[in-house]
Amino acid sequence: MNGGIAKKTLTHIGISFVLLLNILPLLIALSSSFRSVSNMTNPLQLFSEFSLESYRVAFDKMHFMQALGNSLMLTVISVVVVVLFTSMAAYPIARINNRLSKALYLFFLCGLVVPSQMVIIPIVQTIQGLHIPSSQYTPILMFITCSIPFSSFLYTGFIKSSIPIEVEESALIDGAGLMRRFWQIVFPLLLPVTVSVVITQGVWIWNDYFFNMIFISRAAESPLPLAMLGFMGDQTNPTAWNVLFAACFLCALPLLVMFAFLQKYFIGGLTVGSVKG
Amino acid sequence: MNSAVLKKTMYWFVVPALTMYLVFWIYPILRLFQYSFSDYNGFIQNFNYIGFDNFSQIFKDGVAGTSLSNTLIYTLVFVVFSNLIALGLAFLLNMKIRATGLYRTAAYVPTLFSAIVVGFIWSYVYMPDSGLIATVLSWFGVDGASLNLLGNYSSALYAITAVDVWKHIGTSTVIFLAGLQTVPVDLEEAGRIDGASSWQVTRFIRLPLLATSMTINVTLSLINGLKAFDYSFIMTNGGPGRATSTLLFEIFRMAFREMQYGKASALAVVSFIVIIAITIFFVLRLNKREVSA
Amino acid sequence: MFQGKKKMKTILAGVTALAATTALLSGCGSSDKGEESSGGSKNVTLTMIVSGNKAADGQDFELDVLPKMVNEKFPNIKLEVQKLPDDQYNTSIKTKLAAGEAPDIFRVWPRMGSAASIIDLSKAGYLADLTDLPFMSNISEGARSDMSNDGKVYGITKGIDMLGTYYNKDLFAEVGITEVPQDWQAFLEACQKLLDAGVTPIVMGDKDPWWIQFGAYQLAANTVYSADKDFDLKLQSGEKKFTDETWVKALSMYKELYEKGYIAKNTLGLGGPQATQMFIDGKAAMVFDGTWDFPTLTAQGAATFERGFFPLPGNEPGQPVWQAVSTAAGWAVNAKSAHLEEVKQVLNYWFDSSSDLFAEWVKLNPSISAFNGVPLNNDLYKYSYELYQSGGNSIYFANQMWPNGVADTLQVKFGEIIGGRKTTTEDVASAMQAKFDELWKK
Repeated sequence: MNGGIAKKTLTHIGISFVLLLNILPLLIALSSSFRSVSNMTNPLQLFSEFSLESYRVAFDKMHFMQALGNSLMLTVISVVVVVLFTSMAAYPIARINNRLSKALYLFFLCGLVVPSQMVIIPIVQTIQGLHIPSSQYTPILMFITCSIPFSSFLYTGFIKSSIPIEVEESALIDGAGLMRRFWQIVFPLLLPVTVSVVITQGVWIWNDYFFNMIFISRAAESPLPLAMLGFMGDQTNPTAWNVLFAACFLCALPLLVMFAFLQKYFIGGLTVGSVKG
Repeated sequence: MNSAVLKKTMYWFVVPALTMYLVFWIYPILRLFQYSFSDYNGFIQNFNYIGFDNFSQIFKDGVAGTSLSNTLIYTLVFVVFSNLIALGLAFLLNMKIRATGLYRTAAYVPTLFSAIVVGFIWSYVYMPDSGLIATVLSWFGVDGASLNLLGNYSSALYAITAVDVWKHIGTSTVIFLAGLQTVPVDLEEAGRIDGASSWQVTRFIRLPLLATSMTINVTLSLINGLKAFDYSFIMTNGGPGRATSTLLFEIFRMAFREMQYGKASALAVVSFIVIIAITIFFVLRLNKREVSA
Repeated sequence: MFQGKKKMKTILAGVTALAATTALLSGCGSSDKGEESSGGSKNVTLTMIVSGNKAADGQDFELDVLPKMVNEKFPNIKLEVQKLPDDQYNTSIKTKLAAGEAPDIFRVWPRMGSAASIIDLSKAGYLADLTDLPFMSNISEGARSDMSNDGKVYGITKGIDMLGTYYNKDLFAEVGITEVPQDWQAFLEACQKLLDAGVTPIVMGDKDPWWIQFGAYQLAANTVYSADKDFDLKLQSGEKKFTDETWVKALSMYKELYEKGYIAKNTLGLGGPQATQMFIDGKAAMVFDGTWDFPTLTAQGAATFERGFFPLPGNEPGQPVWQAVSTAAGWAVNAKSAHLEEVKQVLNYWFDSSSDLFAEWVKLNPSISAFNGVPLNNDLYKYSYELYQSGGNSIYFANQMWPNGVADTLQVKFGEIIGGRKTTTEDVASAMQAKFDELWKK
């Protein structure tokens, strides 16, 4: 039995070591973020000082609460619509086994390989052509669009493998319509994969600065990543990196909290979802 | 589900997603094809169609060649290492020990940070002389000053790939973990009772059952690698020379720095074809193996 | 009947789905308008996007001070400002221009410098003509013409930027260099002295490839432009080429600094922030950089020492040194702005030398002012600035007369030399010429 405990301790030490190595680069950033703004000595001198000044500056300059609100608004609306649209789209694709379904499945999947940076000018021209004004809400369109390929892929796999047609049978006999069958019976069963979609798509939408940068012109409408970008240096400007790192942790904090709570469901969702598919 | 009418009406459910996808994704991509035959500079709307000039120019420059080979090397390294490391980590994290939730969160944390910040942090890791790696090496008496990973022609590409691997591992690990949890416990136990070593359990019971998550991970990392852009852009600006200039970075440089949107579109079209061809080839092969496994 | 009802329902489902889509499409961004207040005076929101980064300490002029003071002066005008790093800014502004969604005021670079430049954008008709604004006569002649095209002024510069050599006076004194090197020979000797004493003479951040321009343009000012100020015009007409002896010479001189080990090896692995870090930590005696980097290079690092600044002397003994001094980036106005009148009101207030906003701007502006009568505020640049004012031996940053992309080629190819590839300086020059020929069409 002693051997067992020793072995377990060893395992813990081993795992901790590997993971410590994994987050070491982040520790550098964390330690820099706890420095005062003017302490510009080499960031590798870990935890030489503990000050919340950089956080205070980042908090003020980013207008953190406002940016957080904008980020939440963008992410929540996008993710909700993605979940609704793609779960709906996946339903017939998974249920009906014919060529059309297969074609649709591949057609959606193809979108995954196209990088958005490249298509941005035609995208903006299209949006302009439809007379959709460029505003705080415009990025949502692109967040949803770009999330369609991967999310519909996850949903289709999940429905195919884990939601057998039998669950709908009694409803069918009762003469329940398509809407009722889907929203009342199938959709609630999709919860595990919905969690996966929320996490995978939520993370990139939360972190994305590209579409926000293209469509949002007002500081008051900026979400966190866009507000954070202002601390990056460039050709004629030094980087304020203590503040940048503090900003970065402020920006990632909501995600960390969310992940810590949802990780159990997340892995579960992938289990039955994509992987079995 | 027998009624043909029912089947057809079900397809109404695809309409919202499909509409958005066609309008905001497919249509702009078709416009890109149109621009690839023009001398459009990206912001002046009057431009001329110049036939295949852009395409021939790309191949004449040799730009396509360098950036294509960089992209392929990047992809290969990325796919192999991100999956191997993630697989190992997944096995570790699947053990029945305490605090796995904490460990899993730690493994996934790098994924939550934006690429810009990751790139910036890692330039301190790679910095010659006083960077993190150089410092650690100097503890062991190795001269860190001669280590110049990002500035060296032969190592820069691998160095930025490593950063991407680091950031991507969390995602792959989670997908592998999900796969491992589908392995029925009784199957493993049965194997043990039959006297299989833990290596044999892994090799003959767990690995085959991981085939699907392997397909997903390989496909995702393949697409990710072929679309590589972030770290060339943030960490090296495609340099030194063109050593880390990937297809997408080259497209970006042409479109937004040299203002040759037409030529950039042509390279983009070529890249799409290459990416789709490679992806389809691998997906088909992996699917075949999965069935036979 | 039963079947019919079911069909009804499914069609209904489809219609609902469609409606959801269209509602979403049209609902997006309906909140943009509604700035008109019902009362008499018109409330206006002006947008402004600039490149750069936020001041970490204290007030940022463009983000904090400007909007506040504008609103105090004109209660009906609200100015919304956003800042992005250069590359992101360029992508963003071009996309916005292409879509007709550009902000009212935005960042531009003089002549053809960078991707959003006065000449390119004014040719495309995106910039409003600012020639008649009353304060224009207060801006120095050169700065005004750098922001002009075809005789019309399209932009207002932040000021004047100089490239130069920041040096550690304490280290210079330690190894016995008593005066600022006045010519190329003296400069090389100074480097050798430092090297012999075990001090890294120069550090550069070549991982950020634009750093290569910082040294190259200072040398070219002496080898190319001192003899022929119109070199770039002749380049455009095809009369001169990069492959001519003068540019090759500048590149060879620059290469010499790397070959002899005067510039630290491994610079290709150092970014700008890491290189400046080494300088302020006292680990290298010099760094080539511009006046815009004043805050970083004067920040307190691991070592305490006195800084100096001089133009890199690429000249022969007995000849005067030529400097790379240029008009800095600035602001332009969107020709299609819906609030042109208000924008002009704001500019007239901002750049009126007697206004409180102008005084505040001068105080917070790191560039040397291009407005007549504004004194230099950093003593560090006194030596170089007086040299520039008295001799007039200076040239703009060379890339401002090239199509964007040529400088990029310079960086890529010269980077190969730094990286120890077999590329020769002639190869660099001919690659630059090839790129120039490709891009110079109009």
